[in-house]
Amino acid sequence: MEVLGDLAGGFATALRPEYLLFAAVGVTLGTLVGVLPGIGPAVTVALLLPLTYNFDATGAFIMFAGIYYGGMYGGSTTSILLNTPGESASVVTTIEGFQMAKQGRGGAALATAAVGSFVAGTIGTLAITFLAPVIAQLARAFQPADYFALMVLAFVSVTALIGRSLLRGMISLFAGLFIGLIGIDAQTGQARYTFGVPQLLNGLDVVVVAIGLFAVGEALYAASRLRHDREEIVPVRGSLLMNRDEWKRSWKPWLRGAGIGFPIGSLPAGGAEIPTFLSYTIEKRLNPKAPWGKGAIEGVAGPEAANNAAFSGVLVPLLTLGIPTSATAAILLVAFQIYNLQPGPLLFTNSPELVWALIASLYIGNVMLLLLNLPLIRIWVKILSIPRPLLYGAILVFATLGVYSVANSLIDVLIMYVIGVVGFFMRRYDFPVGPMIIGVILGPLMEQQFRRALQISQGDLSIFVTRPISLVILLLAVAAMVLPQLPRLFGRGRRFSVGTGSED
Amino acid sequence: MDDRRPGERPVSFLGPRVVAGVLIVGSIFLVYHALQIGRVAGYTVVGPSTFPLVVSIGLLILGVILAVRTTLLTDVELGRQVAEEEGVAHWPSAGLLMGVLVVYGLALDGFRIGPLDVPGLGYVVATSLFAPLAARVLGSEHLLRDLVVGVSLAVVVYVGFTQFLGVRLPAGVLGLLG
Repeated sequence: MEVLGDLAGGFATALRPEYLLFAAVGVTLGTLVGVLPGIGPAVTVALLLPLTYNFDATGAFIMFAGIYYGGMYGGSTTSILLNTPGESASVVTTIEGFQMAKQGRGGAALATAAVGSFVAGTIGTLAITFLAPVIAQLARAFQPADYFALMVLAFVSVTALIGRSLLRGMISLFAGLFIGLIGIDAQTGQARYTFGVPQLLNGLDVVVVAIGLFAVGEALYAASRLRHDREEIVPVRGSLLMNRDEWKRSWKPWLRGAGIGFPIGSLPAGGAEIPTFLSYTIEKRLNPKAPWGKGAIEGVAGPEAANNAAFSGVLVPLLTLGIPTSATAAILLVAFQIYNLQPGPLLFTNSPELVWALIASLYIGNVMLLLLNLPLIRIWVKILSIPRPLLYGAILVFATLGVYSVANSLIDVLIMYVIGVVGFFMRRYDFPVGPMIIGVILGPLMEQQFRRALQISQGDLSIFVTRPISLVILLLAVAAMVLPQLPRLFGRGRRFSVGTGSED
Repeated sequence: MDDRRPGERPVSFLGPRVVAGVLIVGSIFLVYHALQIGRVAGYTVVGPSTFPLVVSIGLLILGVILAVRTTLLTDVELGRQVAEEEGVAHWPSAGLLMGVLVVYGLALDGFRIGPLDVPGLGYVVATSLFAPLAARVLGSEHLLRDLVVGVSLAVVVYVGFTQFLGVRLPAGVLGLLG
């Protein structure tokens, strides 16, 4: 098979010592930031973007992929031992994981999360390997109208499926679209929303927006609550290994979690939150005898597997269509643009070496993470005890450094602080941050595709509903908007509250 | 929506109402700006003002809906959350941290406003001072430890980034010594 040949080529690249080093640095950094509450993979990749100007593209992406996966692994540690999800996809893990930790089975909870993540991550990577080239092939038939429809779908799903309020999600999205409009219109050369400030002519750098929203917003939010929130770290007692019974109870949830996570993640509707909730609900139904609410290992194994598989899934629309469905994927898209690479159907033909090295590095990264996580759990746990005031101080130092090193510009730094204040109020009033980032990044691309589509149709708007592909996608978007509202209309709203930002 | 047993937990809508107000006023301003964007000669199907109009009018409508949901048809769940947030938030910390942060940004490389030209402290000095100060604002009581961490962080980052990663950072007052 052609795919296997390509993959072997990818391994040949990814196994070169320097790339192994990049992968190792990536997964270690990723685990570190996943463990630390308050910063997640999206901020980390955003902070590292300016530093990669000197790296070659393959090395940089291998490292980013490591951070991405590592963040998922690390997130479970915080959820289980601190009862504070490191990122939103780990919210469900806190429910049973923290209970297990309290009962002295924290080691087993961490182990089932790590092994489950490995199993699901590997299944997800296998699925990417075989699915992504096929989708890339199909996507060659896509025209601007279809891309426009896909972006509508991405917007709708990110807005309607994440967070608790469609209204607040939409406001966040539109605010992001507005930020994306700032600067010179690429097609006509007209300045838009620059308000006479010359520094705004080039638009706002997405890195500035992302770091402001995530890092500064989060630090300010933590500052306002630090005197109130008392953290309780549950020490890891007893064996770090799972016993026979725990293995027996875990492996089915792992596989089911992977089966739920990957398909949902790979839809341009993705995200990793929904599959985790879904997996939790399904395990609860299938294992009625497990001690739910009192530390059922199924409730850790399933969701953790689901979130890792979903994370692999998210890479499918990103690589094959150029459409990010999570905040981290959005930042990765920016990284591709920095290297003058446009993810999409042609990426597989134009840069096969990079793509396959990246996919191969996902397999390698998963193995590294398993090796890194299980024996080093006690070290990661120590990181949890870094004093919070110093941690947030350091986050602000790195945020400033990250933005400053983009252009050595004080204006950028100040804009980033302003956006941080916006992010603070968004956290406070429960406006999801994800839609805003997606809006900033996809807005300009969407406008471009919209214009192209109408140029092809000579101004006839019906092109979006007469092309079957775009019609189907738009109908999916309507469904994604309407379906989540149904349970609320019947009086059974989702009762999970997302404790941290919707960064993933 | 979810207004069973009202009054069980306190609700507050002040914050979201302010947000709605800001959105409405701001988006009217943005609609006005969108209308000012020049028409372009020649054949373009979708001009430069189409998307700005869609986005700004969209924001206006959403702002109005938010205003309605926080006044006439209140979203109780949001109100409860806001009340809970207001109960635990410590405004002086967040405000002070923001203030310290802005001073830090300005102190890095100095700034110029008209005839006023303020020299910067440079990366190492500014960061060494900022980190312990921020920790202090955030409630830390270990001044010595924070100072040590701040200075080490500043030096490591400065040397690492300027020497190994090729990032330019302001030397400031340390530059005068060497």
